[in-house]
Amino acid sequence: MGARTHLHRSRLATLSGSAVLVLCLLVAGGAALHAQTAPQNLQALIDAAAPGATLTVAAGTYAAPLTIDKPLTLVGDGMPVIQGDGSGDVVLITAPDVTLRGFVIRGSGDSLDREDTGIKVAAPRAVIEGNQVEDALFGIYLEQAAEGVIRGNTIHGMALPISRRGDGLKIWYSPRTLVEANVMRDTRDAILWYSPESVVRRNDFADGRYGLHMMQSDQHTIEDNVFRGNSVGIYVMYGTGFTMRRNLIADNRGPSGYGIGLKEASDVLLEGNRIVNNRVGVYSDASPLRPETNVTYANNLLAFNEIGLEMLPNTQANRFHDNILLDNGQQINVAGGGDLMRNEWAVDGRGNYWSDYAGFDADGDAIGDLPYTAKSLFDTLTGAHPDLRLFQLGPAGDALDLAAKAFPLFAPQPRMTDPAPLTQAPGLPPAPGMSAPPRTANLAVAMAMIGVALIILALGIGPHLHRWAAGHSNEFGTSHD
Amino acid sequence: MNVAIIWTLAQKELGDALRNRWFLLYTIAFAGLALALSYMSLAGAGIAGFAGFGRTAASLINLVLLIIPLMALTVGAQSLAHEQEQGTLAYLLAQPVTRPEVFLGKYLGLALSLLASLGLGFGVAGVVLALSNGSGSPGAYASLMVQTFLLSLTMLSVGFLISALTKRAGVAVGIGLFLWLAFVFLGDLGLMGTAITMRLPVDQLLWLSLLNPLQVFKMASILDINATLDLLGPAGIYAMQEYGDRLRPVFLGLTLAWIALPALAAYVRFHLRGDL
Repeated sequence: MGARTHLHRSRLATLSGSAVLVLCLLVAGGAALHAQTAPQNLQALIDAAAPGATLTVAAGTYAAPLTIDKPLTLVGDGMPVIQGDGSGDVVLITAPDVTLRGFVIRGSGDSLDREDTGIKVAAPRAVIEGNQVEDALFGIYLEQAAEGVIRGNTIHGMALPISRRGDGLKIWYSPRTLVEANVMRDTRDAILWYSPESVVRRNDFADGRYGLHMMQSDQHTIEDNVFRGNSVGIYVMYGTGFTMRRNLIADNRGPSGYGIGLKEASDVLLEGNRIVNNRVGVYSDASPLRPETNVTYANNLLAFNEIGLEMLPNTQANRFHDNILLDNGQQINVAGGGDLMRNEWAVDGRGNYWSDYAGFDADGDAIGDLPYTAKSLFDTLTGAHPDLRLFQLGPAGDALDLAAKAFPLFAPQPRMTDPAPLTQAPGLPPAPGMSAPPRTANLAVAMAMIGVALIILALGIGPHLHRWAAGHSNEFGTSHD
Repeated sequence: MNVAIIWTLAQKELGDALRNRWFLLYTIAFAGLALALSYMSLAGAGIAGFAGFGRTAASLINLVLLIIPLMALTVGAQSLAHEQEQGTLAYLLAQPVTRPEVFLGKYLGLALSLLASLGLGFGVAGVVLALSNGSGSPGAYASLMVQTFLLSLTMLSVGFLISALTKRAGVAVGIGLFLWLAFVFLGDLGLMGTAITMRLPVDQLLWLSLLNPLQVFKMASILDINATLDLLGPAGIYAMQEYGDRLRPVFLGLTLAWIALPALAAYVRFHLRGDL
């Protein structure tokens, strides 16, 4: 805070030295006025500003907590730091129409009961933009703050066990919020509860518990996001009207690891998502709940998940077309046993692409002539007895399926039937955030393996070569043949 | 014990193994199937834009579980019994070598030949996967091969035990094949049936299955590749929550026990035998 001892009175609103603190007060009309006296701190400046003013804050470190209780625009120039003292909230916004842009905000308390937060907003139409929130229990918290915009922020959680972390993003009774292009790491959840008509777009949320958790909230658009390495990618509970497009949902694992979970969600469209390498790709329980609505899956990729699609047997009125189910450990699981025959597995004569489809396409219309059915005996067994998953990836499970094919007496009832399976994978829209494995290192490892083999071969053959070279007969001629 | 003698005997054993038709057949089959599986897994990469190594690894684990125990059991079962049948073992023991040297030399030679076979199979498949961006992390692939090598040593030890207990190579290989069936199929199928009919609690199911070294290999490999066992359902999740970081030492300990104990028993039997 040594910088505060200096005062800059120049008419130019620029920095004249790195140790010099410049605070420039701009009236909303645009004409520049200048601080005549040194503010003791940022809070004093805020208190002195007229409602509707724009404050440009120069680089430096400012003490928190701050309360913004009038409509203001705060713009950080060179990422000034608002440093909390490790207790309570860092920045609290209680007035509508506040903009907070370009700050580093750190050092909240760590009480889950008080929900200590980096930026807490309790008024409508806030714009929280381009900030970096770190070492805060909760990152950004909109509490009854409708029509806010949260854009381009970076949120890093506290280094705590996941049960003691707070939510990186919590949107609570705040309808029509826009969450756009934020990056969030190592927090607990991003929560969007009771906040209808909110949009979540182009964000990258990783390494938390819930990538995005929506509850009791209607009419949402979730598009072009990356949810990676969380326990759950997107979880929707009790709501109507969800559009999820072109998201990449990858590597969400753990005991309750789901790429997308739908619980009693109605009128849902999943289109062009890539759902890859999760424990369960999509989990669906009693969705849609409302009569006369659907859950529609179109053009999604579900690949390399342990279970592609897990549904409870109560699931009906789901429509599937042009999806790719590729090399999932188990393409479809009916949790608890039963079947999924009350769903539409093809729409307008187009079904889905199944990598384990064993039929053919004689008439060349790219639609398989035999329906695709899921009726693996082992999968049926694991649906009813999940413990038996322990025997996955082993030859014994395969042997059971082989036996079921050879002796149809054991063949289980089909769990679902796609009447028009696609024989060519439909094209996918581009999705954000995918990278290739390290090629050179992998090649080196493989070469090293061959090298080991060749060295051992040389050791085994070497003595014989010597003997042959010396013209001796091979004395170990027939020993093992 | 003389290390130079052990090494000479190991080299002789290695040379023999390389000209053993069974051994060559297994090696070619393993390398060929690993290659084929890698190609098949890459077919999906074209659709998805990249391949998931998880599924390739799953296929490789399945392949290893089928072929490697067969290979190691038959090779191990032939080791002592075959030479005894031929009379070469008595001839060898008449030389100035001790029984520990003969046993260790044979074991080392066959272990090295298995390592060569695995190196070829994994290496060739690995090159294909790496060139087409189908592999995962280099560490995961290397650890899969290490786990496979350890698995082959457990089965080699069991094979040696069979060999030490029988007098004729044909009988030894027959017993080896039966044990292969038991390890690969009968044990798991029996446990599945037991789990359903007896409603085994998940901890008992886990520990019963861990008596089988093949299951230990499978879980250790999945743990290395996925860093979690949640793929194995409730039992895997239970194992992660209950034992967590201790799983790796447990798996390694069980594997080493399966390598050491049968080999030790085989050695004791070989040492005490008067009818060689």
